[in-house]
Amino acid sequence: MRRPAALLQRRRADLAGWLFVSPATLLFLIFIAGPFVFAIGLALFKWDMLTDPEYVGLENFTQLFADPVLLRSLLNTFAFAFASVVTHIVFGLLLAIAVNRIANRYLSYFLRVAIFFPFLISWAAVSLLWEHVLDPSFGYVAYYAGLIGIDTPNFFSDPAWALPAIIFVDLWHTLGFTFVIMLAGLQTVSPELIEAARTDGGSSWQIFWRVTLPLMSPTLFVATIVTFIGAFQVFEPVQIITNGGPQNATKTIVMYLYEQGFQAFDMGYAAAVALLVFVIIMAVTLLQFWGRRKWVYET
Amino acid sequence: MTVTMQPERAALVDRADLLTRVDRRTRRRSRWTDILLGTVLFLFGVLMISPLVWLISTSLTATEAAFGTPPNWLPIPFTLDAFSGVFEYMPFAQQFINSLLLATISTVGSLFFSVLAAYGLARIEFRGSRTLLVLMLSALMVPAQLVIIPVFILMRELGLVDTLAALWLPALVNVFQIFFLTQYFRTIPRELDEAATLDGAGHWWILFRMLVPLSGPAIAALAILSFESSWNGYFGPLIFLSSPEVMTLPLGLVVLQSGFGSAPAVVVFAAITMVVVPLLIVFLVFQRQFIASVASAGLKG
Repeated sequence: MRRPAALLQRRRADLAGWLFVSPATLLFLIFIAGPFVFAIGLALFKWDMLTDPEYVGLENFTQLFADPVLLRSLLNTFAFAFASVVTHIVFGLLLAIAVNRIANRYLSYFLRVAIFFPFLISWAAVSLLWEHVLDPSFGYVAYYAGLIGIDTPNFFSDPAWALPAIIFVDLWHTLGFTFVIMLAGLQTVSPELIEAARTDGGSSWQIFWRVTLPLMSPTLFVATIVTFIGAFQVFEPVQIITNGGPQNATKTIVMYLYEQGFQAFDMGYAAAVALLVFVIIMAVTLLQFWGRRKWVYET
Repeated sequence: MTVTMQPERAALVDRADLLTRVDRRTRRRSRWTDILLGTVLFLFGVLMISPLVWLISTSLTATEAAFGTPPNWLPIPFTLDAFSGVFEYMPFAQQFINSLLLATISTVGSLFFSVLAAYGLARIEFRGSRTLLVLMLSALMVPAQLVIIPVFILMRELGLVDTLAALWLPALVNVFQIFFLTQYFRTIPRELDEAATLDGAGHWWILFRMLVPLSGPAIAALAILSFESSWNGYFGPLIFLSSPEVMTLPLGLVVLQSGFGSAPAVVVFAAITMVVVPLLIVFLVFQRQFIASVASAGLKG
């Protein structure tokens, strides 16, 4: 008699479990898993959304590897992501350490607000604002640079300056995010350890490199991955400020995907580009699992 | 689980740190470096907010004086004309309501379904629960731009292009929320469920009367993040929406500057100010919650 009763209970638990997850699972299948599978299939077709889709096999992918604009976009995106990771991590960490030392409550409050708030503003507002701030005739950057004798370029229309300018705007916008993550990470570094190192005669420099940094490595690692993945998908400032130009200087991979899919309506090719983005992000995420063991100091 | 910022504790640690230092010379030197550090950081903070000060000041300056040289850090001559201009050039109120509707429906809806799913995954060990969680976790690696292409085709088939539903329907499922809440529920002792079950409580009671109230900070953090991301979202609205009266504010702002019959720069600045200032007020009130939610989910994401 025990076994059927236990089996019945098991069945009821299964049923209850599936009932609880079913709404989310259904939505997951319709809006994430289904589209994912569909996108893989779509990449094997040519389709402009007007005429019938045409099966082309792997042609979209061969086109992908021979496309000079795609290569340019990939290089821009990697350059952007690399610069973004380095600047965010270095400035975010240094700022967090510095702000953490500020004992004055008002100054500390002001700094946290000033550094973090830009992160909450939409990319749309940030892009429109900075387009004016860096404008040679409208903006105040050119004016003050002129006062000290620096002739500023026309940042967003100069092919040499457009990408660095976007990198800078992105730093202003999202530094607050890295800063907050670093501040949280700093709270996990025990002050007793720092004190012990100081008692043993360690200089601030030594303490930073030998104590704080290793103890912060889990945070640094996560922040690097999160910043990289976010930066790799950069789209809004590029689309709004430069529209990928001048001369493709700021065309990123997601910008290219948008052009192909939603302006040229070459859906199959856009799906192939999107799959490439997916493969790169997956590679970075998997690298995370491997790298974690190697680089991160775990207590 | 949740990593909350503890500024008070940090300040206390700092002060304790200062008190334990016996060497007078070290203390004197550190006071001077602290003043120097404070000054440099203050200037840095001023530079960080300078674009926002300039934004607000310019939007309050009369058109002929705005964007002048030297830059207007104060609104002289003062006028509110640019703000009334905003309502002529864009349906601001309608777009505000659209943004609010979209963010509210997405946040409340996704959290409701995530809470249900997380309960099933964390508390009921049913056949397939592990596979399901792994499947959903792997979806975290899938970029939104990949999924949005087929979703666009689907919405076109359903005739939902240029409606807000095209944006909030896909937002009802949030894999990150499900994962985060599942982990959070697991940190709450199971003995509580068992005690409640003995008292005759069902799943529904355990979840909504016990686990949800106990997960307040986690749910609040997820709600802030979800609201913020749909309030600020641009890619989705850009692809799905084309009529000004259906658009959300971020897209509305960009169209205001670059669309047909684009507005003068001061009007664009006034519109940005109208988006940024309320946000700043909300942020100043809930500063701690905002920072805590980003810190906790940022570390887990």
